[in-house]
Amino acid sequence: MSRPFPYTFISCPCADTPVPDPARKRKSRESPQKSPHTPPPERANTDQDKKLSAKEEQQAEDEDEEQTFDPRSPRSNFSLYPPEQLLYCEECHQIKCPRCITEEIVSWYCPSCLFETPSSMVRSDGNRCGRNCFNCPVCTAPLAVSTIENATGNGSQQGPWVLSCGYCLWTTLDIGIKFDKPTNIRSQLQKMTDSTAPAVLDRSRQGSRAFGDLKHPLSSYASIDEPSNARERGGEQAAPKDEPAAPPMGMDARFAALKSFYRTQIAETSNSPNDHLSSEFGFSSPGALNRLMSLYTSSSRLSGLYGGSKKPKSKPPVMREALTTSEGLQIAPENNETDMIAQLQSPECGWDGMASIDQRATQSPEARFVDDLLPLPVLLRTKRAKRCKSCKHILVKPETKPQSTRFRIRLIALSYIPLPTLRPLALSSSSALPAMAQTTDLNSLPPLRPIHVLLTLKNHMFDPVRITLATPPVTPGQVATKVTVLSPQFEIGANSDVWDEALQGASAPLTSDSRSAVLRGVPEAGKVWDKGRNWTTVVLEVVPGTLPGSSAEGGDGNSNAGTNDEDVVAVAASKQDEDVLEIPVFVHMDWDADAQLDQQNVGKGSKLDDKVTRELAYWMVLGVGRIQPSL
Amino acid sequence: MPPPKAAKGEYIETDTGNKISRRSQIHGTQHIILGGKTVIQAEAVIRGDLFRTTTVPNPTDANTPAVAPNPSTPSVAITVGRYSYISKSAILRPPSRLHRGVHSFYPLKIGDHVFVGEGAVVEAASLGNHVHVGKGAAVGSMAIIKDYAYVLDGAVVPPGMVVPSWCIVGGKPARIVGEVGEGYGVEGAEGGMARERYRVVGRP
Repeated sequence: MSRPFPYTFISCPCADTPVPDPARKRKSRESPQKSPHTPPPERANTDQDKKLSAKEEQQAEDEDEEQTFDPRSPRSNFSLYPPEQLLYCEECHQIKCPRCITEEIVSWYCPSCLFETPSSMVRSDGNRCGRNCFNCPVCTAPLAVSTIENATGNGSQQGPWVLSCGYCLWTTLDIGIKFDKPTNIRSQLQKMTDSTAPAVLDRSRQGSRAFGDLKHPLSSYASIDEPSNARERGGEQAAPKDEPAAPPMGMDARFAALKSFYRTQIAETSNSPNDHLSSEFGFSSPGALNRLMSLYTSSSRLSGLYGGSKKPKSKPPVMREALTTSEGLQIAPENNETDMIAQLQSPECGWDGMASIDQRATQSPEARFVDDLLPLPVLLRTKRAKRCKSCKHILVKPETKPQSTRFRIRLIALSYIPLPTLRPLALSSSSALPAMAQTTDLNSLPPLRPIHVLLTLKNHMFDPVRITLATPPVTPGQVATKVTVLSPQFEIGANSDVWDEALQGASAPLTSDSRSAVLRGVPEAGKVWDKGRNWTTVVLEVVPGTLPGSSAEGGDGNSNAGTNDEDVVAVAASKQDEDVLEIPVFVHMDWDADAQLDQQNVGKGSKLDDKVTRELAYWMVLGVGRIQPSL
Repeated sequence: MPPPKAAKGEYIETDTGNKISRRSQIHGTQHIILGGKTVIQAEAVIRGDLFRTTTVPNPTDANTPAVAPNPSTPSVAITVGRYSYISKSAILRPPSRLHRGVHSFYPLKIGDHVFVGEGAVVEAASLGNHVHVGKGAAVGSMAIIKDYAYVLDGAVVPPGMVVPSWCIVGGKPARIVGEVGEGYGVEGAEGGMARERYRVVGRP
């Protein structure tokens, strides 16, 4: 989402500074006994961190001292976040961006029916809603259950039901599917797609609904088929023709059949019953393993030295592949390709009859035409708790219920760092109409003409905060814009009391407005523009630079304005968003916080008033506007 | 066309603080409830006249028609919460559905702190609190947009879609493309600008 001007972004310090020391120590201490669910990349990081920590820190400090933040550098893309996306860790006393947190799933829910799916059901449902929620396979809009015989039945509605898309008007009738009842559509659909054929393989198909049930009927199948398999082994080509035109299985059924088939194969062919691999992983091929092992043991010349017992190796049993449809074998139809091409060429198919790549990506691999597309059960979404990566402190914990928007824990950065808002100062010194003055078009700022922007910082903490702002005198990048903060040091009052706000709320805006009306037009250096209970506004004087190659460059550009127009367009095209005026501002804040319990114990001797001075510093980027190419 | 008279002020402010543009088109006002401090900008269209006709009287029954046009209990077509903002040339229409062969309208409920962007068309069954509907977006009939959801500019939310809380939807048809941050909706930040928006409306 790109934001309209003016906007403010805050840079998470994690991008170029390493995790601060105490947290790092704890992290490295914890790393050996880390819980198994921690992502491996992080572990790799800790090792690296340990090695590089000293050097990096040194470097980072140097950088902090010397370099200013460049909002245009490709790296800063990864550290700039809108303020509302940032969290704050009370343990590390740091801003946390989405990159310095880990997430844990609290609950799964269907975004369509907003029912929670218990975590035990999530896997068996394939991460999809098990109720009536489907997405259109053509356009992804949600499908509605509706009855076909609508107009007539006024009483109890009977008759077939279909899923219909309200967006592209696709219905399941297009693929010839109707439902007997309006509930439990997913199992009805599964039944239909799995058993479009008569009941030769009924047992397996019933099983396909639950993998657990399937194991037994199919394993018995496999043993029954054994003799016939032996016969077929001679001429595999003949095998499909011998069978009485077995109906195709559904995808799930076939997967389940193959799975159980391979399981029995492993059980049959593994010669050692206490083979670790086969029991643990279930899918090892003992033949392959034996071959590998023999490579290392027998062919080695040294084997003679250690006794060299050339065991008469029993030939390892060979694992065979599925041979019958009941085992999950699917043989491509004889004229599959030619049929498909014929269908492609037929006038009733055309381009519209083909399934697009996007559509096919979510369907079974055989689906080539629009007629093959099946309604998709809605993918589940999750509610996630968030933890600080370095100290594992919980930062956000939503309530489990999908409908609830409340949080049990929510440590957002906005309740700690001052909320920055930016607006242009209407310079109404000359014109009597304020409405005219307010229309400083931020999308086309004239270069070299000073404008004033008001930066309001609003404190959400219950302690007053001292702020120091710093900007580079000239913005980095091609377009050198001069920026001056007229009052870089100031205080913001505490967010003292809800009642104060309620009582002052009605009058505060008015007074501030009237005051600013008095002050209007005289932004003075060293003076705060405006101040409220828990907010302070300061003025930034901005002189937008000229775009490279623009006519305004070099003082008087009016003479050659006409000739340069094409260049301007070319330059603007080549350097995309070079004309966006973004000001990096370094914010340093410190405040006297109430000491927390642990720190109270430590600092009891020294500090009796329970106050600890905290400080926090970060870069933020103010998106002021776009500079117009010429005057 | 003569220019709008500046002296009179663009907005009518009601007792409950609603600021309604004189150039908005509001039909069926008795079927509309505004929660107060609502802003309705110029050329916005609000169709309160599309309310649900409570009875489907049988033409044979002579007694029921007397009950049907009951003016004392008007059915509500559109409810709008506090600090909601209907931008220029947006259209609010109660949703309708064909149910048992009868086409009927259902109420449109809009929560608090809702923003409806310029030229957006809203036919939802409900918009929760702090919902943002972008410029030129269309919210289809009977859609349900839960609290803190964000509909991007130009999105087309298909009829009957449910957008869960904190989700960003966009595209045609709209899909869930992301989530807003946890701080969304905090007063003064993104999603919490409703009071500020209200304050500056109609102020010279």
